[in-house]
Amino acid sequence: MSSFLPILRGIHGVWLREIMRATRDKGQLLGGVSRPLIWLLILGVGLNPYFRGEVFGEVRLVLPYSYLQFLFPAVIVLNIMYTSIQFAVSVIWDREFGFLREILVSPMPRWAVLLGKVLGGATAATGHGTLVLILARFADVTLTAPQVAQAIAYMFALSFALTCFGVVLAGKVRSFEGFGVFSNTVILPLYFASSSVFPLDPSLTRTQLVASYPEWLIMLIYANPITYAVDALRGILINFNQFPPHIGFGLVGIGMIGFFLWALRSFGR
Amino acid sequence: MIPAAGFPNRQGLHFTRASPRPYICGLSLRPPEEYGRGEVNQTNCQEADFAGRSISLLIQPHETAERAGPAVRVEHLSLKYGGQVALDDVSLSVGRGSSFALLGPNGAGKTSLISVLATLRDADKGLVEVAGHDVCRASRQVRLSIGMVFQDPSLDDRLSAEENLDFHGRVYGIPGRLRAEAIDRVLDLVELTGWREAIVRSFSGGMKRRLEIARALMHKPQILFLDEPTVGLDAQTRARIWAYLNRQRRERGLTLLTTTHYIEEVEDADRICIIDKGRIIAEGTPGQLKRELGQSFLHVVAATPADHAALLAAYPDSHAVSPEALAIPAGDEDFVAGFLARFGNRLREMRFEGPTLEGVFLSLTGRVLRDRTDGEREAQRNAGRRAGRR
Repeated sequence: MSSFLPILRGIHGVWLREIMRATRDKGQLLGGVSRPLIWLLILGVGLNPYFRGEVFGEVRLVLPYSYLQFLFPAVIVLNIMYTSIQFAVSVIWDREFGFLREILVSPMPRWAVLLGKVLGGATAATGHGTLVLILARFADVTLTAPQVAQAIAYMFALSFALTCFGVVLAGKVRSFEGFGVFSNTVILPLYFASSSVFPLDPSLTRTQLVASYPEWLIMLIYANPITYAVDALRGILINFNQFPPHIGFGLVGIGMIGFFLWALRSFGR
Repeated sequence: MIPAAGFPNRQGLHFTRASPRPYICGLSLRPPEEYGRGEVNQTNCQEADFAGRSISLLIQPHETAERAGPAVRVEHLSLKYGGQVALDDVSLSVGRGSSFALLGPNGAGKTSLISVLATLRDADKGLVEVAGHDVCRASRQVRLSIGMVFQDPSLDDRLSAEENLDFHGRVYGIPGRLRAEAIDRVLDLVELTGWREAIVRSFSGGMKRRLEIARALMHKPQILFLDEPTVGLDAQTRARIWAYLNRQRRERGLTLLTTTHYIEEVEDADRICIIDKGRIIAEGTPGQLKRELGQSFLHVVAATPADHAALLAAYPDSHAVSPEALAIPAGDEDFVAGFLARFGNRLREMRFEGPTLEGVFLSLTGRVLRDRTDGEREAQRNAGRRAGRR
């Protein structure tokens, strides 16, 4: 116990530094606000009238939701993905500008340093996800208090897993410039290939799906873990699931532990 | 009041009857000579009558609790780095409360050695103990007892001075109130109290250095490692930093281990260890080294290339310190007189240098300690760092 308290204090210190940096970084904050606005107000509102589940001239899939409602949880996940994965820049920054050594000679164990950093990054990402929740009424999503609490808890878990993933990426990239390109080639494909901006019909069999979408796209969507992450959040926020929601929760849980351990291996050489 | 018979006979109880005023320190009684001056004062010392003798009860703060043995012990340490030998069978010992300097040119292995001592890198071979703890097996204890000032800045320059120190305090597990006190203390020590809330990015190089030293002293380490601590600082700041550090050494027995390639920085050190190409080539006090290895040199620049060749032929034991300049080992005054009679009118420049540490290094390695390109390289590196900053 006597050695546990200083470690907790250290984790809190590392967390606090990440929060201070995140709140002082105006650019990141601006991105966190403008991104959901663009996606919801322009893409969401623009495509809203065309979202009727009409395929080959006949209505085969009737979703009880508008496109804005359908898109809303996906935009939250997008915002979280950006902030979490961009968090890796903070890890690269520490490494390039020597601050990492200050942490590495401290008596804190390496896992505790990483935990503090990841918790900090996950808190910032959850904050950016919560920002989107404020737009809920503009997307015609009505939320109850338990739904909001559930959503925030889930968002935090998702942020944690993705932040660890970002740290793993940081271990592979040597420069800031490289990371910018890298993150975009990771975030956007994952996002688009996750049934985030178009629905799959849960009542259709696989053969029937293949009739409306090309085979490769369906394969991609089924293979993409973000698909299930978005789907679970959709279940919480608009009560609509295309897949069993426990797949999403399970994947996020596995991601939290798996990516954390992987990140620990690459963190600090 | 402490009853004489009340002491359990445990490990750590030393009772020295021979000393006139033993001090009780926790469970140990030690003679006053074992404590540094300034450690005993009104607040931490309490007079008590013990076995008919006046003694003082010293309530010793945890962080100054001593262990026997040297502050740093290194035996047969070898380290390979990227296929190259960085350290080759290095052995040294640094006494507690002393000021120890590692002197050598860039790339000699100084930073590698510090990295091993600070548990940042594992040794390939050998035994390394810092503050009585093995660096591999008890790295946490080692890290708690050392303070580190790195060669390159390692502050978060987007936070304020206070926030940097607060971060350090938290990471070292210092509780809230003590942390606030420690921040006040160290800021005052380096005279940065007025800059408490300022963002570190706006600091000058000297201020950053002072803040880093303050930070390294915040958790009251027993040993402070300073890796090239005053590179790029003006003489005034350099002198001030050394004054702080030496005061810490006197007042609470801090051990200083410095690496540097500035001769003037190590003249005041208790012991100097000269290191080159990963090996220790000489060790001793500055006086000793100068006496035993120091030589006078004549630094000369010949008037023409022909004269240069003639000089080399006449004095084959001279060292080329640059393409033009030669350092000729000078014996006594007769040597100089003889030299002047022979070459006096064939020189463009001449300078006599008595025994210095620079000369010690030159006679040991045949090279000057600081080649001129060092400064340029540092400037380039700094420019690169600035450009790379977001």
